[in-house]
Parts: sequence; structure tokens; C-alpha cells
Amino acid sequence: MTKRPALVASIVIAVVLALLVAVLATRDPAVNRVTKSPLLGRSAPAIEGTTIAGAKFSLADLEGQWVLVNFLASWCTPCKREHDDLLQFANVHAATKDASVVSVVFDDDADDVRAFFAERGGDWPVVLDDQGAAAVAWGVPKVPETFLIAPNGEVVLKVSSEITFEFLQEQLELLRSGA
Amino acid sequence: MRKLAWAALLLVVVGALVIGVTDRDQASDADRAHRLGETIMCPACSGESVTNSQAPVAKAIRQRIDALIDEGKSDQEIRDTLVDSFGERIVLNPPREGLAGLVWVLPVAALVVAVAGLVVVFRRWRVAPSTEVSDADVDAAARARQAEGR
Repeated sequence: MTKRPALVASIVIAVVLALLVAVLATRDPAVNRVTKSPLLGRSAPAIEGTTIAGAKFSLADLEGQWVLVNFLASWCTPCKREHDDLLQFANVHAATKDASVVSVVFDDDADDVRAFFAERGGDWPVVLDDQGAAAVAWGVPKVPETFLIAPNGEVVLKVSSEITFEFLQEQLELLRSGA
Repeated sequence: MRKLAWAALLLVVVGALVIGVTDRDQASDADRAHRLGETIMCPACSGESVTNSQAPVAKAIRQRIDALIDEGKSDQEIRDTLVDSFGERIVLNPPREGLAGLVWVLPVAALVVAVAGLVVVFRRWRVAPSTEVSDADVDAAARARQAEGR
């Protein structure tokens, strides 16, 4: 057999590149990544504290409606990218009064988060979580993470990535229809 | 003498175990939190415990462990609380039930087999009495017979 090192090297490189492309093409999407959580199907852990506006907040007060709980930080780039979608979701459902948005601050300074919302908009409750108690109770390792809570107080969806308005609407409709 | 050596070894092993268990009971809350944190994986890191990680979530979990210790929770209750939020993967020690339980059983079984093997090998190594008759033995026997014949 004729030795052709250049040909063999080219084939090896091509195979490696093909495998790399296959891995990248089949990995989880960077947006709307639905993940498992021990919380799914269980009552939502409590979120109690003070908002960046200085008001008292308790998640229990929102029982009876769909609630989107979003963990965020002002330093988190995907949080910045998804903010317009959250804003759109909040505005649409503020009009229909069937769903609310709550944000929980993850390892961030209150002033930085106030500046974040002042710049980007959003008038929903943004709860400070100084000791990270809510993040631990909800099993949030990093941000952004978003949960959807059904009107009966059960956690029904967890998304461990940036999220889009269209995906949220679609999931809400599916869950409402019991699919 | 040999029995005395075994008795001394047994005493040392039992004594070490007793001291180890007693020390655990007397550990301070900070020591307990530190030790417990070493068994909890930082969920935002790769293979690091919350005790060794500086990630924000690791810090939050450490604070939660401190709070739960203050509330009087046992180590197992604290682990269960964290598993309820993050899932089984957060515990660095594998569960004792199911297939994962083999992780605990196999090393013990391997140790027992290894010790049994060593015992067998050491017994074989015992020097067997020589059965070959040397010239000196023949001479000694001859001398003995001569002495009897006198």
C-alpha cells in the first residue's frame, strides 16, 4: 500500500471536524432550554423579601394566577438579551390579567439592578435575595433561569437558558390546554 | 507474645475508631458545615464541592447550610433539603440504595477478598519442614544404632 501521510492526515482532520460539527449541531439549544427539576409538579418554594422599589413581596399573594419567576443579574448577558421578551410577556398579560412576572436578583447589587430596570423597562416586582436563600430553594445554579407556576401554585416548567416571548406563549397555551 | 501483639493491634484500632466517632460528635458547627459542604457539589462548577468553590451559588449554599445547622437540622436533613431543590446530583457521595449502592459495597467486598487472598498466600508461604535426609542425618542415625547395639 502506498504511504500517503498528507491524505491520511487530511482524512483524520476531516473526520474530527465532522464530529465537532455533529456535536455542536446536536447539543441543547442556547435558548428556551427546558430542563428537569425536582420542583416540577411540586408547590413552588416561597419567595419573600423586599423588592428593589422597597416594597414587601410574597409569592403566596399571587396564588390563583400563572406566575413567571425569573432569576436574573444585571451582569448576565443572556439576561439582558431576554429582557425585551420578558417585557413583552409582562405587557401582554398585564392587559389580560392572567399572568404575572416576578424577578429574583441573583448575586447582584440592588443599585445595579435598579439601573438595569430603569434602562430597559419593566415594572414587575424584582425581589432582592441577599443571602441567596431563594436561589438555593429553587435550585438555581446560575442565571438566567425561569420557572412557570400554575394557578394552583405548582411549578410546571423550568427553563435554564435565555427565553423568548413566543416560546413562553406557546408553553403557556400548552399548559393551559392540559397538553 | 504473638497473642499480645494482636491484642495490642486490636486495642489501637478500636481506640482510633472510638476517638474518631467521639471527635465527630464534638465538632463545632463551623467544622460540621465545612465537612458537610465537602459532600455537596457546587452545581455551577465541575467537580468542586461548595466548600472549595467561590461561585455565587456555592456561597449561597454554604449560607443555607449554616442556617439549617442553626435550626438544629441533622446532616441528612440538610442534604435532603438541598436534594429537594437541586436533585440527587448535588450530593458528592453516591446514594446507598440501588445500582449506585455498589459503589459502597464493591470496595468492601474487594477488601474482604484481598484479605482472604493474603491469608491464603501467607499460609502457603510458611516454610515446610524439610523431608530430605542429609548425610549428617544418616551418620547420626548410624551412631544411634551403634550406641543401642552396645
